[in-house]
Amino acid sequence: MNPLLQQFLTEARDFLQTIGEKLLQLEKAPTDAALIAELFRVVHTLKGNSGLFEFPEMTRVLHAAEDLMDAVRNNKLAYSQELADSLLDAMDFVGMLCDEIEVNGVLGGNYANESTRLSDSLRKLNVAAKVQTEVTAPPPEHISTPEPPRLCLPTESLAQLQLLPEIERMQAYRLGIQGATLHWIVYTPHPECFFQGEDPFFQAQQTPELLWGSVVEREPWPKLAALDAYQCNLDFYMLSAASELSLQEYFRYMAEHTQIQLVSPQWLIVPTGDLNGGPVYDDFVNDALALLQAGDLQRLSRIAETMLELSSPDLWLASALRWLLLILELAPQQVEVLQALLESISTLQPIAWDSLPSWPVANTVVAATPAASPPPEQNAPDADVPDATDAPISATVTKVESSRQLLLETIATQQGILTLPLAESWSIGRMQAAANALGGCLHALGAQEHLPTLERASAQALAAKDTAPLLEFIAQFLLSQSPVAVETATFSSTPSTPSSAPAPRIDEPAPALEHEPEVKFNRRSEDNLLGAKSLKVDQAKIDRLMNLIGEMVVSKNALPYLAGRAESVYQVRELSREIKAQYAVINRIAEEMQDAIMQVRMMPVSFVFQRFPRLVRDISRRLGKEVNLILEGEDTEADKNIIEALGDPLIHIIRNSLDHGFELPEIRRQAGKPAVGTLSIRAIQQSDRVIIEIQDDGKGIDPEVVKRKAYAKGLLDEVALERISDQDAMHLIFAPGFSTADVVSDLSGRGVGMDVVRTAIENVNGVITLDSTPGKGTLLQLSLPLSMAVTNVMLIESNGLVFGVPMDNVVETVRIPRSNIRSIKHAKAAVLRGSIVPLKALNALLCIDVAPVANADDELAVLVVRFGHESVGLLVDNFRETVDIILKPMNGVLSELSVYSGSALMGDGSVLMVLNIKELLQ
Amino acid sequence: MSLEFKKNQVAFKDSISVEDAETLLEWLQKKANAKVDLSACTHLHAANLQVLMAARPNISAWPEDSRFTRWLKSALGQI
Amino acid sequence: MSKTILIVDDSATMIMSVKSNLEMNGFKVETANDGLQALNKLKAGSKPDLIITDINMPNMGGLELIKSVRALPGFRFTPILTLTTEGQAEKRDEGKKAGATGWLVKPINGVDLIKIIKQVLPGA
Repeated sequence: MNPLLQQFLTEARDFLQTIGEKLLQLEKAPTDAALIAELFRVVHTLKGNSGLFEFPEMTRVLHAAEDLMDAVRNNKLAYSQELADSLLDAMDFVGMLCDEIEVNGVLGGNYANESTRLSDSLRKLNVAAKVQTEVTAPPPEHISTPEPPRLCLPTESLAQLQLLPEIERMQAYRLGIQGATLHWIVYTPHPECFFQGEDPFFQAQQTPELLWGSVVEREPWPKLAALDAYQCNLDFYMLSAASELSLQEYFRYMAEHTQIQLVSPQWLIVPTGDLNGGPVYDDFVNDALALLQAGDLQRLSRIAETMLELSSPDLWLASALRWLLLILELAPQQVEVLQALLESISTLQPIAWDSLPSWPVANTVVAATPAASPPPEQNAPDADVPDATDAPISATVTKVESSRQLLLETIATQQGILTLPLAESWSIGRMQAAANALGGCLHALGAQEHLPTLERASAQALAAKDTAPLLEFIAQFLLSQSPVAVETATFSSTPSTPSSAPAPRIDEPAPALEHEPEVKFNRRSEDNLLGAKSLKVDQAKIDRLMNLIGEMVVSKNALPYLAGRAESVYQVRELSREIKAQYAVINRIAEEMQDAIMQVRMMPVSFVFQRFPRLVRDISRRLGKEVNLILEGEDTEADKNIIEALGDPLIHIIRNSLDHGFELPEIRRQAGKPAVGTLSIRAIQQSDRVIIEIQDDGKGIDPEVVKRKAYAKGLLDEVALERISDQDAMHLIFAPGFSTADVVSDLSGRGVGMDVVRTAIENVNGVITLDSTPGKGTLLQLSLPLSMAVTNVMLIESNGLVFGVPMDNVVETVRIPRSNIRSIKHAKAAVLRGSIVPLKALNALLCIDVAPVANADDELAVLVVRFGHESVGLLVDNFRETVDIILKPMNGVLSELSVYSGSALMGDGSVLMVLNIKELLQ
Repeated sequence: MSLEFKKNQVAFKDSISVEDAETLLEWLQKKANAKVDLSACTHLHAANLQVLMAARPNISAWPEDSRFTRWLKSALGQI
Repeated sequence: MSKTILIVDDSATMIMSVKSNLEMNGFKVETANDGLQALNKLKAGSKPDLIITDINMPNMGGLELIKSVRALPGFRFTPILTLTTEGQAEKRDEGKKAGATGWLVKPINGVDLIKIIKQVLPGA
């Protein structure tokens, strides 16, 4: 797909999102002018963008939407819910078109009807407004008749045409007779036009199909000393063979300063020259007229040529004869023209062309556009615009200040670096690097006087292989600086948070600072001023980083094994220690890197939440309910996968709540509750989990109703029906095949129940709990991991095999004496802290026909895991440590083995299978 | 691109911008017998044109472009 | 020497469209996403030969930008074109009143765009 279209689609989605949001905000503040203006702007921009492509269906709808918003913006139309509905519908349609374009690159389907329907419904709203305005608007002010254009009379133009030298006029006449349309242009630029970026001289010169042009001063020139070079005092006259349309187009920016007049070629026939001198050739005129009458144009030409040879070329008569010959050559059929010219020769008067039947064109004056623009206001330099000279200076001051701050922080960071515990082999290089960085900072700070001290300190440090002299120098130097600097130093010298210090790391080429550091920092600050601070990255690239760091974590885990082998196999204890020390470093960096990459993947829950206002609005309106939505904690972040997995379940929950939870306003009122219900959705981060709470103040869940329904559907037997607690009963709504709605509605019904929600949440290692008070409302709580990238698993042994169990599933590990295990029918169980926990042997679940092994005290290892709302004990052989792993889903044929959620590569190169407890126990 | 002043002569080089008109006017105000060399001039902004029209200096050389020259000559009354 | 044109528009799509057209025709192009950004660019030393600006933008709209630009030293005479749509005839006049040289009507094809630029920018 071409990049422009791609860009358009990306941006269109953002715009549609914004439009939706603004419309909903407008619902709460229908007269907010800023909001309306913003909404108009976005619709307007989107429409403009769509016009770049051939998507008439889209542009039509957007155009109608733009007009509608324009009317609202200009207070011709009030915001209403119908208006919002229509606009939202229209935007949904546009969104759908975008989807289609995204997939196919073009608009394939036939959307013309839908497009017309939507734009008509938008126009209808607007028409209503227009009618209203026309009725209420005051009668338009008296429209003054436009001033007659300065050059509307041909006589004036005729006089001006004489400005052209005869040879030019004859050339133009020739073209005119051959069919060219001729236009006379009078261009009188506004005196202030230079201050609008105009160059009238250039404009005049570039006139299309220019035949001739000239420039004259409008007013007589003042004395040179009094001349203002920037007040335009020029008038331009031009003759062009271009069409009226293209001239209007060309002069459209200065339409009110331009007259374009169609010129009949005959108007160019204006003899010029010395009127005095030479005899009056009455005979010639009489003969010529007679020949014209007789139609003998050949003889007429001949006698005219003879006359011309006898006359001085500068005479007016000679000029008239030249014209006569030209007309005879080009347009001999125009007898009236010839006659008029001959008569004018006898009277020595110019031809009164306007008394002649005009040929071939009507006398038209083209005022390019009637709209008269007021003259431009000259901008006084001290207008209410911020003084341009002030800003950069103050900006520079700030820049200097902030770079100084940065340098001091950098110095403080060296302190932290030098105190980091590191293997000896690195210490020399590290000290050297820190000393270089310090030197660079001192240069940049202009504190060169401290350089000799620094050099001494670093020489000492290097000689003694001890960082103490350098550390002392830093402490001394920072003390000598401002209190701010000392504070910063204390803050950044904490080695445990090196990533929080915005300073270069050891390996950054610090000496580079020595060269023109000011320039560098200035440029940096400027860039920040103008540049964007975030960038969009293709998800595939992040995923690749994620995979690479995963492999890195696994690879580095091989080092402890290597250290072990160095000691146990090769008997080199020293090497083993060094490997362990290096491992510590790599381990730290890898962990930080992993953390950093995971940060990149984090997204705010607002990504999902932003859809809800529209959803709640649409559904509650359809159901005739009134619900106020409150969103909190939209900034809470979690991994992209988690956030994306949240979308559908949350929508389902909201639908459910609106459909079954909230009562109709009337019923609410009768129950003494506010007619408008409140649905609040909160996101909170609690340690490494994100908690999402959905609370409504609807009618709540009646446990009795749930119990009866569950019993009717066979989900409960009679015994359980008697015994089940209200809390547990309510959780039955998550059971597969349970639906509380009496009638399957088209909203939340759809044949699926809350079990789908539960499954979706559990698929991302989430837990869902419910709390409801009949008559008061319902609270649903989702608890999800912040990230799925790293899974903490407990290793267990069974039948000589090692398995992983996600810690999310683990409740506790206990060892139970074999004697305490009861057999109930075929099932085993034990009493743990007063409650009965069913026990299942892992081997049996995995179809391994081996009994669990007890320890020396005849105790069995029981891993208590969470299974839905129950606890189940897994009988295993032994527990091992917990580890962080990168869980890879099962591929290919293995993916059908649902008892495993995936595998992970361990540091020693072995593969760990991770159990899917839920599947295992089902 | 610029105006090049030499004693009594100014040479117009390439395109003369609107900003140059002020400089040109100030220079012409001081020189009574100014000469203007337009031979290397390709365009001049209208502001410069009107300064020339008001000052009427001697044009020692006209531009190469004949159409441009025709405009200038008609403006400076040399036709 | 190639001329530099500053495009000011809050729509990345519009900027991309105009920019690619201009660059294909040998112009150097600078961009800004709103009036304020454009003004800061000019204050920071950018010296475009022509400015093309949208009217409706957040932070600072086109009309205000034009007025501010005209008050900046060195930009009294710089040609400025507004980017308007079919229905914005009144904005074109307002733009001219604020000091714009002319206007462009969106969507504009490459040929017309270059034609108009050559009209307002001598030597382009």
